[in-house]
Amino acid sequence: MYAEANLHDTVEDAQVAAAVFIDGEPVNLVGGDIFAASTETDSTLLLSRGYYDGTYSASLPMTSLSDIFIQVIHEPIEAREDRWYPVDLVNIDPGPGELVGTSATISFPPEIIITSPTEPVKLFSINDTIELTWVPAGMGDNMRALASVECTDGLAVTRYGVSADINDDDGHEILSLSNIIFDSREGAPVLNFISEAALVLLQDLLNQLSAGNIDPDYVYRNTDANPAESTCDIRIFVQRLREGIFDDAFDSGSVTGGRSTEIQAQYTAFNPLDN
Amino acid sequence: MKTAMRTLIVALLYLQTHAVLADRMQLDINYLLARFDAGGNDEFSSNKAIAIRHNYFFRDWLASDLSLLVTDKAYDDTRQDVVGYYRAALQSQAILFGMKLRHKAKSPYEAYGRLGLQYWRTELEVEEYFNASIPGGTVTADDSGYGYYIGIGGAHYITDSLTIQLEFLHMKQLDLFEGSSSQPFDLGINALSVGLGYRF
Repeated sequence: MYAEANLHDTVEDAQVAAAVFIDGEPVNLVGGDIFAASTETDSTLLLSRGYYDGTYSASLPMTSLSDIFIQVIHEPIEAREDRWYPVDLVNIDPGPGELVGTSATISFPPEIIITSPTEPVKLFSINDTIELTWVPAGMGDNMRALASVECTDGLAVTRYGVSADINDDDGHEILSLSNIIFDSREGAPVLNFISEAALVLLQDLLNQLSAGNIDPDYVYRNTDANPAESTCDIRIFVQRLREGIFDDAFDSGSVTGGRSTEIQAQYTAFNPLDN
Repeated sequence: MKTAMRTLIVALLYLQTHAVLADRMQLDINYLLARFDAGGNDEFSSNKAIAIRHNYFFRDWLASDLSLLVTDKAYDDTRQDVVGYYRAALQSQAILFGMKLRHKAKSPYEAYGRLGLQYWRTELEVEEYFNASIPGGTVTADDSGYGYYIGIGGAHYITDSLTIQLEFLHMKQLDLFEGSSSQPFDLGINALSVGLGYRF
């Protein structure tokens, strides 16, 4: 199982995403088995299905910073609540599946305070870099950058999400634009495209930041324009990550709590005919 | 509300059965292309229905209206959510009681409107599929109750006693599954029909 919760610095709700894998293959929870995420004061069911099989997400109100308890439960009525017909009268309940009852606890690391850049960065070559500095927490947490990229060449649009590891929570990192922008003329890109539940989480965060005014498949890799020859708006979400705790039932997977903040950049392809 | 509707229907039925003794009657048979709307995120495909209607004309412009309507099964889109795949279907029968108002022009045409109450019986069927290990199945529930209808149409007289008709009909079934579920809903049915009428 993969479970991740993220608390972005400008959003009051935490984004919670989860996925189930059996033998490395994503599988759907079915028949009313569903992920539930809760704090001491709020709870939610992960009713939104992600782009990929077996991925689910929801937003959980966070009135105060606290751990999130995530559990697979069996709720045949509540899981069907988005259906239009009387689901409490007409439903087939196959009973709890084998994953019901398993759980994990997600804790959040300290928030991220970026010290530079504080303004959107303008870049003109995929060999450029972004020098990133922040206040280190010194608590042994991991760091990561998730980037949502939207490029247009005037005719076509490319959108995708990539992730990049940040070595240490030491307050300094050089992000290479070549890990974010690719040139489709040079064959298959070697970027670390975000997949499965992390992509669901990024989509949910972007959706919240835009107050719902975003396509439901915004970051699901549409590559019609060549990013290297386009103008690209880049939203980089710098995350501090803390490993959570599985209960005894799981022997593999990951559970992570994250805090994120955003920096913005714009890449404009160099045009030798421009002054 | 239900008591009032029941009283009205009984009164109309009384008038209708007594009116049959007279000789200014019309019998119609209509073929309907109907579309169900349960008011939620449902997207029903069009389905077929058939209606048999009896009118007795108290005046040249006013008649009682008694109809029996039976629909085919209408299927909602197949959908997938966090539970699995599902598809809902509805099928309905209704008895309609009301009044018909018509305006007959000098030409062989007439325009008419119908409105009244209905007593319906509707069945909801849901098919569910989870995965290869948990195949799911089909479950049904039915309910009956009251509602109303309104229609507007036109007729062309082929002969003095035979007409062809084109009509738009809107029916509303109220409070399906109220009392047995916490999610009752109203069912709207819009239908376009063609029909044959026989005056005798």
